[in-house]
Amino acid sequence: MRRSLSRLTRRAALKISLALSGGLSLYGLVRFLSRGEPPPTPQQFALGYPGDYPIESVTPIPEARALLLRDEAGFYALSSSCPHLGCTLGTESSPFECPCHGSRFNRQGQVIRGPAARPLTALELSLTTDGRLVLDGGTSASPDQRLTAGS
Amino acid sequence: MRRRPSFFEHLHPPAIPEREARFRYTFGLGGISLLLFLILCLTGLLELFYYLPTLEDANASAHVIDALVPYGWVVRGIHYWAGQGIVVTAALHMVRIVLTGAYRTPRRFNWLLGLSLLPAVLLLDFTGLVLRWDTHIAWALMVGTNLLRTIPLVGPALYTLAVGGSEIGPPTVVRFFAWHILGLALPAAILIAWHLFRVRRDGGISRLAAPALLPADRPPSSASDFPRIPRAELVRREAITALIVCALLLTLALLAPPGLGPRAEFADLPPDASAPWFFLWVQQLLRLGDPFLMGVAIPCGVLLTLALVPYAIDRHTGGEGRWFNRPGRLAQTIVLGMLALIGALILRGALT
Repeated sequence: MRRSLSRLTRRAALKISLALSGGLSLYGLVRFLSRGEPPPTPQQFALGYPGDYPIESVTPIPEARALLLRDEAGFYALSSSCPHLGCTLGTESSPFECPCHGSRFNRQGQVIRGPAARPLTALELSLTTDGRLVLDGGTSASPDQRLTAGS
Repeated sequence: MRRRPSFFEHLHPPAIPEREARFRYTFGLGGISLLLFLILCLTGLLELFYYLPTLEDANASAHVIDALVPYGWVVRGIHYWAGQGIVVTAALHMVRIVLTGAYRTPRRFNWLLGLSLLPAVLLLDFTGLVLRWDTHIAWALMVGTNLLRTIPLVGPALYTLAVGGSEIGPPTVVRFFAWHILGLALPAAILIAWHLFRVRRDGGISRLAAPALLPADRPPSSASDFPRIPRAELVRREAITALIVCALLLTLALLAPPGLGPRAEFADLPPDASAPWFFLWVQQLLRLGDPFLMGVAIPCGVLLTLALVPYAIDRHTGGEGRWFNRPGRLAQTIVLGMLALIGALILRGALT
């Protein structure tokens, strides 16, 4: 114990304490800078009545960054944010193409061409009591799920 | 008691070897980069008097600088063009260092100092562009910050550090403002001062060792074997270069003012999604596959390769001061090769 203490010179002790306090300050600085705004509460977006959307229609919902689609089986919603790096897909024509890096997706949200590696996120759809469609921006759904509505 | 030389005198000794002051040796690229940085600090300082770093006002205040502030559009134009120019001159300065072997001992550490300024300049340009907060920066901002998230382990923390939340929002503008000025420009200024100090500390700009200039049978004796130019001549050359650069900047600012679009609305963005020109090569790489590999690992790999040039790729001594010197062929080939690839990708991105 005495020996190891005697080997520690004053200069070395100062260096070690300086390094330790520097490291601590750096940790504090990173912690200070890392406060993030909490994620906004997921919004619900009220859409029109099921009859407003014909079969095989694709309707962009820009404020939700989503697409409302309808096929023979019913309604479903896909996020229009590319799973690669988050650009919003061009939806004027199908397949949907990412303007940033060229990924392509079919109407079911599956990748036709990379670089995206994952399919588009399917979003939850429901009906209000008066029969209007509602998109739940925060909840993902099963990609095969279809909402049927008497229209 | 003798007065100690000032920093200016440290950089401009009473006389320097004529060969290291030749314009066709350095092309003044380091000096021009320094001048552009000083101009960027000055014009940036002026913009600070009007810029409002909030989500609501950022884009509007940039429009105010352009349209209402007297000479505001000139100030912003010069800031923009100096920012584009410094990317070019700093990169060419690096190429000059490589091609003349100036990275060798004893200048290896200064090579690293200069190299660390390269990402600083690129990030300064990127954050500066984002501060416009117009429709054209939205894609670049989204892709750039989402790239941070792909980094294993520290990615999400870095994203929060950069963006100030779990998605782009009101804190993001202030964050980019703070990073641009205090997180990047200030450290860059300190690094530049250190880089300049080291130039003279390492024995001035690299040049041919004097004996190599002489015929073998004559000892280096007479003063004419080591021609030197006085301080006044060096300052005169620097002043002429500075005047030409300033004239060019002013012309560009007047004839080709930088664009400024309407405020970015992330729900409704234009279909044109080009990265800023100096990151077009990264955008092209990102089309090819995994975002972390293409967008983070490869660019960092390029920097690492450059950092290793004097430590692993070319550890020869001698040959510095000569363009395309023989011992440095491997390093020259690697650096020029990488640069050619990057240039080709930028061109491909610009044309498609």
